[in-house]
Amino acid sequence: MLFQLMLYLIHTMEIKMRDKINLYLIEYAINAILRDKYKNFFILSIFTMLTFLLSSVFFITNSIKYELDLTLDSLPQIIVQKTKAGRVYDIDADIVDDILNISGVNNAVARVWGYYYFENIGVNFTLVGVEEFEKQYKNSLEKIVQKTTLEDANRSIMLVGRGVKDMMSKSYYDKYFNFIKPDGSLKKVFIGGVFDADTQLESNDMIVMSKDTLRDIFDMDASKATDIVVEVSNPKEIPTVALKIKQKYPDVRVITNDDLRVSYENIFDYKSGVFLALFIISLFTFFMIVYDKASGLSGEQKKEIGILKAIGWRVDDVLKEKFYESFIISFFSYLLGVSFAFVFVYILQAPWLRDIFVGYSDLKPVFELPFVLDIETLLLVFFLSVPIYISATIIPSWRVATLEADEVIR
Amino acid sequence: MIQLKDITKRYEINKNNTITALKDINLEIKEGELIVLKGASGSGKSTILSLIAGLSKPTSGEVVIDAKHISKLPDNFASIFRRDNIGFIFQKYNLIPNLSVEENILLPLIPLNLDTKVAELKLQKVMDKFEIIHKKNNIVKNLSGGEQQRVAIARANVNDPKIILADEPTANLDKKLSISFIEILKQMKSSNKTIIVATHDPLFFGLDFVDREIEISRGNII
Repeated sequence: MLFQLMLYLIHTMEIKMRDKINLYLIEYAINAILRDKYKNFFILSIFTMLTFLLSSVFFITNSIKYELDLTLDSLPQIIVQKTKAGRVYDIDADIVDDILNISGVNNAVARVWGYYYFENIGVNFTLVGVEEFEKQYKNSLEKIVQKTTLEDANRSIMLVGRGVKDMMSKSYYDKYFNFIKPDGSLKKVFIGGVFDADTQLESNDMIVMSKDTLRDIFDMDASKATDIVVEVSNPKEIPTVALKIKQKYPDVRVITNDDLRVSYENIFDYKSGVFLALFIISLFTFFMIVYDKASGLSGEQKKEIGILKAIGWRVDDVLKEKFYESFIISFFSYLLGVSFAFVFVYILQAPWLRDIFVGYSDLKPVFELPFVLDIETLLLVFFLSVPIYISATIIPSWRVATLEADEVIR
Repeated sequence: MIQLKDITKRYEINKNNTITALKDINLEIKEGELIVLKGASGSGKSTILSLIAGLSKPTSGEVVIDAKHISKLPDNFASIFRRDNIGFIFQKYNLIPNLSVEENILLPLIPLNLDTKVAELKLQKVMDKFEIIHKKNNIVKNLSGGEQQRVAIARANVNDPKIILADEPTANLDKKLSISFIEILKQMKSSNKTIIVATHDPLFFGLDFVDREIEISRGNII
């Protein structure tokens, strides 16, 4: 009984479906594609490649933007640097107390940090010094300090980012590393653990150790710091507080997070610009194909439309068939292109292409593109490709289909 | 009934040149009649068929079929009329060369979106009737001229139209195959279809089952 009911329902659905969609037309469209299989395969390949390129560019952009947004959000509100003759020098750490007295300032931390060049790998890493019992200026650092101790009476310890750990392991530094100090002597620091911060851009190249150890490596006076970061209670007061610091210490440079945001975004926009060029080239090629199609149908294609009209097909029927034909090719190419881009960007991590985007890869040795599913991007790629191709197929067909059938056949 | 009233048809070659294919033609064809339009190439026979089928519109005058003003129908309605009432056998068959026999014959039924069983039945019937069923899966371009013509005839009949128009149907056939076509014509006539054949093949002249022979010369009925 249930089986019979199911059969009845399937049959009813089949009839309703058939009323709405002409399966014969779809079958004819598929046949038409197969009849011209070499030409259509060529179009499909080009189309897939272009959708793939376009999607890859958008996917990489999305991932980097996502990472950058996270990085930008975690940037200090104000950074104070000591400058002399236009160059940055170490700053007196006791300025912190004066800054804390400025109204509106919530916290001020003297940072000790710098870059260290690993010669045998050819990569720069960021070294960050922390005090275990000091309030950290970043949540990620707070988490790192809470989890592992950096204090050891007998030896110096460092915590390293995943990328640093991998790079060091490649050079057989599994347990410790000998830092070369400015005077040429060595400072042995043991690897105490590996951390994952909120964002990979930030964490991959980072090494965290105590401020004392870091001062020792950089041969820095105990009263000095690299810079001072300032936290303001009300973000709207950042410019005012920055101005007050500048007025109090004319020899310092005060950088707000907005200045940093602009600088980061400028770098990113430059990368986008390079890709924009590639994107335009892709689009240009695509429009060449579209133009070629739109410029007219072959004699054989025209005759076929004439024959179909002569045996009773309406203009609508011809256009529907052409719609199915172009939709099948373009949508299939779109799906293929997007799928390939997914695999290429998120599984293979976009080899070659990524290097153009993440140009500062010397600084950021291992950077994984995080998976960001953005429906808008998928729709954008769809609307930049499928409807354009469908229109380019339908318009010339419509031109021919609206002529007198007799004229077309002759 | 088919009526051609004061039909004139001019083709524009370019801005300054036109060719007059038909000049003030008046013609009435009754239901079930078999008419042979004879005349030399370029006399205007094919143009008459084309106007009756609604494939082109007259420059002036009217084509009326069963009280319907065909020449004034908008393009989409003309297509529907053609699909339901007219089967056209073209001189060069006008088949789609890379499709199979079955697929070619099915073409007029596609827009109707019929039930698969009904479509299958119609297909089977015409393929049987015009003896092409044994080639149903063959690609049309690989068939002989006679076989291609049978496919064209089957396609013209698949929708069981009231009117059959044949334009120079034996122009590409040898004598044996031409006689075979005449037999098919006789068979179609017996099923009370109105048939108009445009030809200059003498084999069609003086046939006892032909109701009328109309001679066309330089766009006029003689």
